[in-house]
Amino acid sequence: MDSNQKSIRNRIIANWATRIFLIFATIVMLYPFVWNLLASFKSNTEFLTDPFALPTALHFDNYVRAFVKSKMGNYFMNSIILVLFSTALLIVLVVPISYVLTRFKFFGSKMILNLYMACIFIQATYIMVPLFLQVNSFNMLDNRGMLGVIYAVLQFPFAIFVLSGFLRSVPRDYEEAAKIDGSGNMGVLVRIIAPIAKPGIVTVGMLSAMGFWNEYPLALVLIQSEGKKTLPVGLANLFEVQRYATDWSALFAALILVLIPTIILFVIGQKQLLQGISAGGIKG
Amino acid sequence: MSDVLLTKVAPTNREIKGTKSKKPKLFIALCTIPTLLLTIIFMIIPTIKAFMMSFTDATGMSDDNKFIFLDNYKYMFHDEMFIKSLFNTFKLMLVVPVITLAIGLVLAFLLTQTKLKERGFYRTVFFFPSIISLTVVGIIWSFVFHPNMGILNNILSNIGLGNLTRPWLGDSSTALWCVAVTLIWQAAGYYMVMYVAAIDGISPDVFESATIDGAGQFRKLISITIPLLKDIIGITFVLSLAGTINLSFIIVSVMTGGGPAGGTSVLLHYMYTQAFQNSNFGYAMAIAIFTLLISFVLSFLSRLLTNRAEG
Repeated sequence: MDSNQKSIRNRIIANWATRIFLIFATIVMLYPFVWNLLASFKSNTEFLTDPFALPTALHFDNYVRAFVKSKMGNYFMNSIILVLFSTALLIVLVVPISYVLTRFKFFGSKMILNLYMACIFIQATYIMVPLFLQVNSFNMLDNRGMLGVIYAVLQFPFAIFVLSGFLRSVPRDYEEAAKIDGSGNMGVLVRIIAPIAKPGIVTVGMLSAMGFWNEYPLALVLIQSEGKKTLPVGLANLFEVQRYATDWSALFAALILVLIPTIILFVIGQKQLLQGISAGGIKG
Repeated sequence: MSDVLLTKVAPTNREIKGTKSKKPKLFIALCTIPTLLLTIIFMIIPTIKAFMMSFTDATGMSDDNKFIFLDNYKYMFHDEMFIKSLFNTFKLMLVVPVITLAIGLVLAFLLTQTKLKERGFYRTVFFFPSIISLTVVGIIWSFVFHPNMGILNNILSNIGLGNLTRPWLGDSSTALWCVAVTLIWQAAGYYMVMYVAAIDGISPDVFESATIDGAGQFRKLISITIPLLKDIIGITFVLSLAGTINLSFIIVSVMTGGGPAGGTSVLLHYMYTQAFQNSNFGYAMAIAIFTLLISFVLSFLSRLLTNRAEG
């Protein structure tokens, strides 16, 4: 009885020690965001007198300035269209090849799979110069469609890796049943495999969409005209400009604007994201 | 009557089997060729091109590039700025993965072992920085380290350590470590998620029997969790090394632009400067290939080490 009480007390102490540590970690993780959020509602004079005080009133005009004057609205639309296009293209191209590579053994199938595994190492930054020259030789620089295609292509290895892992665990019974009912291969892919693989497809789609939304190096190199830039590039430019101009409040508002879609996607799809990272990571 | 039916059914059955083993060639081609073609055009060819270009004196100006074989690679080691970038990258690679993974592991362990009610909340909060744009991360952390309105300097002067305040990003002795802190802050939660998944995969009996044997939390972390997660720790280490090389480019571009005086220049950022500011495409590609080689060799080595430790 006595030792039991003691162990319970120890457990409570241990739990509170952990909790205090975790709360401290939470503050470290969140404070920069909170500071930014508060700053986005202050006027410039308020911010410059004391960057740490609470805002006296909510200056929503910062957001209006960020959206209109700093062209964040424009960048925002560019990024959204780009992300939707690239993600759709990625899924349409990657689901069939992952399916075929896991279900059929044909000449070169093993080699193709190995090729994609090796390509996981090739990151956009390494090949951005030859990609720039390649796109230039097609006369497609400053073309948002082109950028979208390249985004999708560079995501192939990861997507094929995750999806083929997922499809391998799907039993063949459904497909065989559908084939006996007279479905062709294409019918099986669209009506049987795609619905079954939906969790995998959603995970790949979300992770990729987030990657596209945040992508910086390629957008920096392949897009030149002001009106076609994406959010990360536009934001980095704005930050560069604000070092000398000093409409800080509009910059903070812009930062919050960029975060909103990410937060929404995060809230909706946290489960898939966490699953995707666990699955993708464990298999390396 | 029934005999006739059977004979009619039998061959068609065989036919179905026959077509199945004969592989639907058209379908396979339709599914693979477009994807493969795009991969070749936008991934394989540029990679090969990068490799070829690294042996030439290609610039943005002229089309006739001279083949100079290893001259770019030899020049690198006489280029002070390159050496500086190389060492900066190495410093980050020595520090960032180890600390990131250690923090990720401790957080994952705490979240899985102490069954706090609000642990879902912590997991969400810690994971969040890893999904936001690195440009945003870079800008926000520029304000943490900002000389007069920065969060860090303000905290320091409020707790009476005012003499420690400095322009963190403008001081070449601290700027690189600011980049390191930002990278760690950004990635720790990501690896935490992987470790949580891995620890959840360990049978709870193992931990229970350790508790019965009187093992404390620290003991459990060192003697059970880490050995059982050896594989995934090895893999995440490789991922984190590659990530450090890659992500430092964006963080450095946004936060310091390689300054002050090359104090935060890293390999890929130096490559970018050589290519798009100096138009030395050939030299830039030599740097890219060299960097790619480093990440290949390192991941190969760490795979080898984890495999040996296993066997």
